[in-house]
Amino acid sequence: MAIGCCTLAEDQQVLPGGERQPLLELHEVVKTYPTAQGDFMALKGISADFYAGEFVGILGKSGAGKTTLINMITGVDRITSGEVLAMGVSMHALGEDQAARWRGKNMGIVFQTFRLMPTLSLVNNVRLPVDFCGAYQPRASFARALALLESMEMSEHALKLPSQISGGQQQRVAIARALANDPPIIVADEPTGRLDSATSAIIMRIFERLAREGKLVLMATHDFSIAQYFSRRLEIADGVLVADSGRVGG
Amino acid sequence: MINWQAFAWLRPRWAKALADVVGNRVRLLLVVASIAVGLFAVGMIATMHYMLSEDMTASYEQVNPANIYLYTTPFETKFVDSVRRMPEVKDAQAERTFSVRLRSGKDEWTRINVKAVADMESMSINRVRVLEGKWPPGDKEIVFDRHKLESAHIAVGDMVEVRLADDTLREMKCVGVVQDQTIGAVGAGGYFLADLQAYVSDDTLQWLGQTPGWNVLLVTAAENAYDEAYLHVLAEKIVDRVERNDHLVMNRVVRRRDDHPNMVYVEAMSGTLFALGFLVVFLSAFLITNTLMALLNQQVEQIGVMKTVGAKRRQVISVYMVLILTFSLLGLMISLAFSGRAAYRLLEFLSKDLNIIPQGYRREPGAILLQVLIALVVPQLAGAFPVLRAAMLSVQEAFNGAWLLKSSDEVKWLDFFITRLHLPRPLLISLRNTFRRKGRLALTLITLAMGGAMFIATFNVRSSMQTLIHTLSRYFIADVNLTMERPYRLEDISRVLTTIPEVGQFEAWAGARAEILDENGEPGETVNLMAPPAESALIEPVMLKGRWLLPGDQNAIVLSELFLSNFPDIEVGDTIRLRVNGKDTTWVVVGFFQFAGKAARYVAYADYTYLSQLTHQVGKSYSYRIIAARPLKTIEEQKQLGQILETVLNRYGYQVNDISPGLWLLQSATTGLDMLVIFLLIMAALAALVGSIGLTGTLSMNVLERTREIAVMRAIGASDRIVMQLVIVEGVLIGMIGWFLGCLVAFPISQGLWVVISTALFGVSAEFTVDATGFVLWIFVVLILSLLASILPARNAARMTIREALAYE
Repeated sequence: MAIGCCTLAEDQQVLPGGERQPLLELHEVVKTYPTAQGDFMALKGISADFYAGEFVGILGKSGAGKTTLINMITGVDRITSGEVLAMGVSMHALGEDQAARWRGKNMGIVFQTFRLMPTLSLVNNVRLPVDFCGAYQPRASFARALALLESMEMSEHALKLPSQISGGQQQRVAIARALANDPPIIVADEPTGRLDSATSAIIMRIFERLAREGKLVLMATHDFSIAQYFSRRLEIADGVLVADSGRVGG
Repeated sequence: MINWQAFAWLRPRWAKALADVVGNRVRLLLVVASIAVGLFAVGMIATMHYMLSEDMTASYEQVNPANIYLYTTPFETKFVDSVRRMPEVKDAQAERTFSVRLRSGKDEWTRINVKAVADMESMSINRVRVLEGKWPPGDKEIVFDRHKLESAHIAVGDMVEVRLADDTLREMKCVGVVQDQTIGAVGAGGYFLADLQAYVSDDTLQWLGQTPGWNVLLVTAAENAYDEAYLHVLAEKIVDRVERNDHLVMNRVVRRRDDHPNMVYVEAMSGTLFALGFLVVFLSAFLITNTLMALLNQQVEQIGVMKTVGAKRRQVISVYMVLILTFSLLGLMISLAFSGRAAYRLLEFLSKDLNIIPQGYRREPGAILLQVLIALVVPQLAGAFPVLRAAMLSVQEAFNGAWLLKSSDEVKWLDFFITRLHLPRPLLISLRNTFRRKGRLALTLITLAMGGAMFIATFNVRSSMQTLIHTLSRYFIADVNLTMERPYRLEDISRVLTTIPEVGQFEAWAGARAEILDENGEPGETVNLMAPPAESALIEPVMLKGRWLLPGDQNAIVLSELFLSNFPDIEVGDTIRLRVNGKDTTWVVVGFFQFAGKAARYVAYADYTYLSQLTHQVGKSYSYRIIAARPLKTIEEQKQLGQILETVLNRYGYQVNDISPGLWLLQSATTGLDMLVIFLLIMAALAALVGSIGLTGTLSMNVLERTREIAVMRAIGASDRIVMQLVIVEGVLIGMIGWFLGCLVAFPISQGLWVVISTALFGVSAEFTVDATGFVLWIFVVLILSLLASILPARNAARMTIREALAYE
């Protein structure tokens, strides 16, 4: 089941000469943190372009800089230098509220710890992004949330609270929430980190499907065993991009 | 099959707000209780204020109170008709009032005031309300007003014995009990000093030794019945008419139609109680801030998530403001449900003391509006700071918890200090825990300290009132105040009194009713003018300004505090003009003294010799004040002395009009003050309640936030008892610090409260005294409260399994 209102692969702007424009561009992204011992450089000038339909794995050991890079991409943390262009928009030039609105509409985020609202039913968790920044219509948003839960095989639990379902199920709901506003970009930070291998496989297949449907899916993980699911693999070590398996399609 | 669409109408953000409201029952209870207590305090006071003012005015107006009282030489009924025909007069009524003495014990007689009205059946002015038995009284029957009836031990159906001025005894049947709201409207001393009031028919007057004719003319004004200045002018016009008819006006009193004799107490109470009510609201706002800070601490991650999925700051703020609004509306519902009823119960309770008729329970729109306004504004303001602070967090700050760490756990100074104390380990942990959340601790302590200060202040105010009563006793030093039926020669009475071994010393005092003359020479307010002999030992006045009377003073006069507040232009050294016994006189004001407040009306002291000359009573006196040979401690002892005096004086042929024990006068003069204490105690209870809610809230939040820590402690072997002990010791520690701070704050608060109350009652601030009772009682209250407040969180902490605790997120 296609869960976007349209597939971005068809929709995406094509540059003169037939080349597609990247959905996400990283230019020399640097991030340093001040510490007692002096500045610590977590990202040392990372550049990469990402396109619709890619399922990108950002791989690296703990402390390599994966989460920092994800935070730069989602705009929840400020870059020290360089630029992140998402769909042509410089995320870091936006104010906090503008960034929140932009992110809510264009970028779905999935966390390792799911981060569902504990007091909201699953269906309302999925409706929340629509409520905050979508064109909210009570019944339409409800129907869409149910459809998203259905696509994650979670509709029968729609009125349950997050605490009433398993971790794997919570992650599926979190993915449904990330898709609520039909964003072209999905960013996931270790989404399988708390799941067993069988459940992880289910989640990975969902992301695979989303990429096939035209989304750009970026996933940070330290688990090299799931690398086979990615259409493109970036490897980071000590804040440096050490390997990029390259664009697929293009 | 579930109908999903049925849930679609509510936006998820509001669903979240509502879910957060009911998500934690303890938190819900604490926040709603905090809001409800504040609203209840203000709601109850406001309802009380409105109801009391309305009921007092309404029930007073229902009796069609006289606007003008003229005490005259006897006149006939037809004269009343002529006054009634005056265009400015709505109605007029003739009364006969006089004193007789009622047997209140074997040899004990109490002065009562008796009143007869021309046509009692259709009495139109100063109507009474029949409480029991019949009205009007028939021939040789008597009806009593309920005020002071209990102390006379008389019931409907009883035969009572009265003693007339010529010592004739008459037996009458008590046939009814009524309520007369105009008691205290005339005469110095007001309601609480008024004598027991009785009513007889005009047919009985002659049998009670009264000469024909009426001696009081009551008038209601056809217009401007609420305008005191106009009523004075009208009174003067009627006095002219009375005097043209060859009658003499001895005394006149003017009262507005809404001027209930006990209004002064209501006015004195209102401002103070409103101030206290708002203080409770202020404290409850602190609790709201504290609880919301804790709630937002727990929700920081959720705020991060909301921002991640697209929420703007404004939207985050609105979610929590709706949450607060929901709490407020719940608190408001509770307050509205109970505050009105509580106020009315209190009003009913006080109605007897205040001599009003409650007009029935109703909702007071003003009080409701006030509660709604406070509910809509105060919690929102209280929550604004924590909500704004949380909404300003960036997603990154929200997720990494750096914000939480910034505000807590850093108590290096304490660590330095407590590691040097050789205390048991669990106690050290409790001590450190107490100071971990400094902001929360500060707010809790402020609430507890202010609540405690209010509690202690109540007792200090009560003590100051007792000091004041003690001070007033200096005006009632005599054991017995003797009023004779007519002025007797001082020499003769002295001769008799010196033969009585129980009498230690005595003084003859002069007295007169006077009226204050305005700049046009028009008489106004009535003054109770008393004149002790020079260098009297039976009065020790408390001077506010100027000096007391000195030997040789001629037309010197010392005025009570009511002159200070009502005639602020009068200064020491100024002259004041009074009409005494129909004669216009000029007096030099030499000082102002403090008396029993506004309710005691206008009281003045002048030189005995000078007043005797003015009243043509030189060498004679109506009034004698007696001190016993041995100190008398009780009213009973004083009454016994009074009986001895009367027996002996009667034996010598001197007729006694009244014998008042000094302590009884003091007690009556200060009864009204008790009502204030009742109110203050209610406020103290509310303050204590706010304090305990604050403490329970803080401990619950602390325990909740330390769930993980408690689990770890249990995992490494801490028993249930140790876990409970940690929480309870922390609670008691906070309670004790709160008590100590409360004691410190109590001083300025008590003093301020007393200044406000004493100024409202007396027009000037009276001496402030500190009473240990409040301080001692509060430490017990705090101990019990902190134990109770910590038991629930402590039990929760102890009952938590390690798995549950570690699963907490």
